[in-house]
Amino acid sequence: MTAGLEGLLRTLAPQALGAVVRRYGHFDTAEDAVQEAMIAAASQWPRDGLPDDPKAWLIAVTARRLTDLLRAEQARQRRENTWTLPAVAPVEDADDTLILLFMCCHPALPPEQQIALTLRSVGGLTTQEIARAFLVPEPTMAQRISRAKQRVKTSGVPFRLPPDRTSRLAAVLHVLYLIFTEGYASTAGPHAYRAELSTEAIRLTRIVHRLLPRDGEVAGLLALMLLTDARRAARVGSDGALVPLESQDRSRWCQDMIEEGTDLVTAAMSSGPSGPYQLQAAIAALHDEAPTPADTDWPQIEALYGVLLSMAPNPMTALNHAVAVAMARGPAPALDLVSTLAEDKRLASHHRLHAVRAHLLEMSGDVVGALAAYQQAAQLTRSLPEQRYLNTKAAALAQR
Amino acid sequence: MKYMILHYASQADFDAMAGKDSAVGPAWQPEEVAAMGEFMNKLMNDLVESGEFVDAVGLAAPVHTRRVGPGNVVTDGPYAETAEVLAGYTIVDCASFDRATEIVARLVDTPAPEYVRARGYADIRPLMSGLEEITA
Repeated sequence: MTAGLEGLLRTLAPQALGAVVRRYGHFDTAEDAVQEAMIAAASQWPRDGLPDDPKAWLIAVTARRLTDLLRAEQARQRRENTWTLPAVAPVEDADDTLILLFMCCHPALPPEQQIALTLRSVGGLTTQEIARAFLVPEPTMAQRISRAKQRVKTSGVPFRLPPDRTSRLAAVLHVLYLIFTEGYASTAGPHAYRAELSTEAIRLTRIVHRLLPRDGEVAGLLALMLLTDARRAARVGSDGALVPLESQDRSRWCQDMIEEGTDLVTAAMSSGPSGPYQLQAAIAALHDEAPTPADTDWPQIEALYGVLLSMAPNPMTALNHAVAVAMARGPAPALDLVSTLAEDKRLASHHRLHAVRAHLLEMSGDVVGALAAYQQAAQLTRSLPEQRYLNTKAAALAQR
Repeated sequence: MKYMILHYASQADFDAMAGKDSAVGPAWQPEEVAAMGEFMNKLMNDLVESGEFVDAVGLAAPVHTRRVGPGNVVTDGPYAETAEVLAGYTIVDCASFDRATEIVARLVDTPAPEYVRARGYADIRPLMSGLEEITA
């Protein structure tokens, strides 16, 4: 299948699924039907040519497959397939893709199921592709997806926009963010298929941004992803080792993405109150706009982290804030902040805390302390590239 | 006077028409489906031309039925495979019940596999014109 055809199919898949679920219900079975319709399209379209209206074709074939699957199911077990009508809310006209996203990110589902279901139902990825991206065996992922669908089914979510849209949108954005970071930060093992997750997260966030162009946090999240992903090429060295921000070859950053991300976050920040994604995007933009590390506007970054911290307290944000404090005002006040953070049990055993402490100690000239902290951080991380980076830092200090 | 002509079919009939061997008989051939479509089109066109046509509706396969029962309990696909249920209707506005019967009699000639024709039937029901007809 060509990339163009695959892209078209992946765009049409959630639209076909949405159209069929809106008309006939049966989210769980329809989800299988659309996958089968996509397989049919992938074999027929290259052979017979693109249909006049590919979307209508895919909807028709999905509906037909749904009928077949339901028929087989109902013939197999004529069980009383009953449920009780949920309380009725007014039907709002909205893009089906958005409703599907809300369904897939339903709060009744644990995050790993939300992610898997979103990638399959809205992203149009196959179970095999998702399994590869998350480095789990295909049957495990298949089971995860089928549990998720079962849960959506039994929760009886009607096919419409949820009434608590704002809080539910936050859940959707969080899932998209997790998909992005999963692809970007690779929490375990080598990273062959994982980069595609970031690309997929950006594609899905673009769809949400197109549907909700005035939502500042959606724009903020898209900007954050673009501004982060712009550095992808420079982030890993030729030896596969992780290159920290200050040592990256900035000529390899993707200027188009930086420009698009900066424009997005600038427009969003000037049009309303800023949320956490916008603030993170603004910080990323300040990094991306600096021609050299020395040009980085650290006081501004420190201030933004301060606002972010007051809005959404989070240990990782606190660590990043500490780094910004060090860069703006020197390591001493930052080390004080980190010692306070180390009192938090969850953070005390996290490699990031020790990596930051090592970095601050190195800045302050405490070679022995820095060496020990780098070694501890290397022991705690599960990521191979990160481990290699930390061990290299430790080895360099040991030679002094 | 308005009459509703009701057509019936089972899920198995829908399957056979969709090209699958079913509990009621073998799958329809594509030319059989085409011939039936052509025949029905002609019939509807004639009714439009005579000014008797009001409305015609085909329903999706019975498998897609959702039944809302007492206590708002919803049942999906409540029909057995071979249960004959409403499959569509045609509303005509014509001079008399006998004229409506004449129209339906033409359906006997609908091209279809023999096993379908052998069982075929349609009901004609006069429409009430308003609430006063019921309460008067």
